[in-house]
Amino acid sequence: MLEVSKVRKSFGKTEVVKGVTFSVERGEAFGLLGPNGAGKSTTISMICGLLPFNEGDITVDGYSVKNNPMEIKKRIGVVPQDIALYPTMSAMDNLLFWGKMYGLSRKNALNRAYEVLDIVGLRDRAKDKIETFSGGMKRRINIGAALMHRPQILIMDEPTVGIDPQSRNHILETVKQLNKEGMTIIYTSHYMEEVEFLCERIGIIDHGEVIAVGTKEDLINRLSGGTVIKMEIGHYNKSLVEELNTLPFVEKIVTKDDERELEIFVNSSHQALGELVSTAVKNNVEVSTIQVQEPNLETLFLQLTGRSLRD
Amino acid sequence: MKSFIIAWKDFKIRFTDRKGFFMMIFFPVILTAILGSALSGVMGETSLPKTTIGIVQTGNDPLAAVLIKDVLKGKDLKDIVSVKQVDSEKQLKTFLRDEKIDAGIVIPSNWSQDLQNGQLKQVKLLVDPGKELKGSIVNTILQSFVNRVVTVSTSTKTVITHSAQILSPNDLKGLTGQLINSLQKAANEPYKSVQNSTIGKRMVSGMQYYAAAMAAMFLLFNVLNGTKSFINERDTETLARLMSTPTRKLSILVGKFLGNLYFAIAQLGIFITVTSLLFKVNWGENLMQTILIGFCYAISVSGLAMLFAAFIKNEKTADTAGGLGIQIFSLLGGSMVPIMIFPKALQTVSNIAPNKWALSSFTEIMAGTTWSDLSLPITVLLTISILSITIGTWRLQVK
Repeated sequence: MLEVSKVRKSFGKTEVVKGVTFSVERGEAFGLLGPNGAGKSTTISMICGLLPFNEGDITVDGYSVKNNPMEIKKRIGVVPQDIALYPTMSAMDNLLFWGKMYGLSRKNALNRAYEVLDIVGLRDRAKDKIETFSGGMKRRINIGAALMHRPQILIMDEPTVGIDPQSRNHILETVKQLNKEGMTIIYTSHYMEEVEFLCERIGIIDHGEVIAVGTKEDLINRLSGGTVIKMEIGHYNKSLVEELNTLPFVEKIVTKDDERELEIFVNSSHQALGELVSTAVKNNVEVSTIQVQEPNLETLFLQLTGRSLRD
Repeated sequence: MKSFIIAWKDFKIRFTDRKGFFMMIFFPVILTAILGSALSGVMGETSLPKTTIGIVQTGNDPLAAVLIKDVLKGKDLKDIVSVKQVDSEKQLKTFLRDEKIDAGIVIPSNWSQDLQNGQLKQVKLLVDPGKELKGSIVNTILQSFVNRVVTVSTSTKTVITHSAQILSPNDLKGLTGQLINSLQKAANEPYKSVQNSTIGKRMVSGMQYYAAAMAAMFLLFNVLNGTKSFINERDTETLARLMSTPTRKLSILVGKFLGNLYFAIAQLGIFITVTSLLFKVNWGENLMQTILIGFCYAISVSGLAMLFAAFIKNEKTADTAGGLGIQIFSLLGGSMVPIMIFPKALQTVSNIAPNKWALSSFTEIMAGTTWSDLSLPITVLLTISILSITIGTWRLQVK
């Protein structure tokens, strides 16, 4: 359905997307996970035909973004990161406008607008102006506008930024339902749990590069250290870190929060816990807390990049 | 087609914005009322000064009644003369001194008793030396009335005296009646032998001038608002969203241009209607000329909005540059004070202001002008439109 092949994009001398490659199958929910500034939005903008790229190609249903941007635009619905609506117009008027911009007649747009309002759960607020809505409701109408023309692919660029948990859950459930009904979803986020909940396959992107693609299980299996032990210490001690690194079960150590928190990737947590604590005591370092974390995408990202998704 | 959808959306957003509506439609009407009334003198509007005349009338002389009722309170003078009956000459002088009246007339008792001899008793006119013009107006009115009465009386007496020598008493009676009737009829009929016509242009009143000036100035705000509409669309990502729909860039740009144009036309239409109804502003005899100039000006301000949107990056810059630009252009274009009081060099510089061309054209139309006289402003306004639309569209498409 969607093929992104070796796409490169530079702004001036800075290359922000460095040969990104991934594909999305029809009906699939694909997540693009990465921290802020990783290149997710730039990649999305290129897929939507909003930004030209320097190298590579993007195709949707066999149509190239370079040669047939209009054909692609008809097939995709874009939910931008910001609320791209007219605040002084009502929810209904906004939906009608966007529907017409996708070529719907007034009658079809009106019928579809009611359906969309039902999908996003805001039918009772149809006549209210967007500026009177809460952040969560605005986000829902923002999604609704992209659904007006029944797109084959729904591309969502961090659609839950800055909203309350209730609205976030509503949005995630809505997207899940749309995917169940056969809509292809491309979902970008730096919230690991959202991507885990929604997506069958995930691409991890950082510094303009896709560093891993696969199902959640595939990706977690790639972790060289199966578990992460978070250890909070009284003060940083260089010789402690050096000694911990020599332990046979330790794969990698990442220091965080003024070097008072150590994230230690280990291949056996059972054996490691006691050894880690005793090594700290031996080095006269007080251990405030110690926590064993099950492997997840966050762990993978941390291991691959040395930083957290939310850094 | 999509351009019209975008244009209608923009028009609705701006038209339903209360703050914008107040600023763009209500405010110019208020300013027109204030400036038009306060600065009408600047336009050289002249009329006779309103004059209050005090009258002392002794007895019930019929001629005095005619002077007061038919002349001073008559339809020709009622707008400039008001009459105040005064009891005595002494009181008249007091009123004059206290400036309660501008001039005083003392009509003697039995004023017209010697009229059959072609004579009238002398009327006394008292004037305030500080109100020379008003005194002279009253003097002229009074002199003219007395001369007319004496002339008619003398001519009638002459005809009757001579006719009495050759006619029988019955014929004389008939002739007398006929003569009186004819004289009365002639005196009451308007002069038909003189045809009134005007040469040259009509004078434009202060209210007319400032109505045109405010229309030109406030339409100029569409340059700023149109620019901000573009920038706002860019800042709120709605432009990006529009571009992610299957809509060509050119259609979006045309839509934005048309939206601004719709509003400018509606603004001008409402303004002309309101000022015509409320302040009786006459926008000229040829409505087509007003419509054409208004349309050309609306296109040029909408085009300029595209041009500025192509070069200005944020709303703050637009507000600063736009606010300053509108003030300079309003001043230069004659929207604040009439261009005719500018020095020659500044009058030449004012040609760069599109509102100057609109304003001068509107006032020309109000004064009565020909199509050929309007060809230059139309050409200038259309040239501004074409250049700004072309450069703006090109630059925005590239961006």
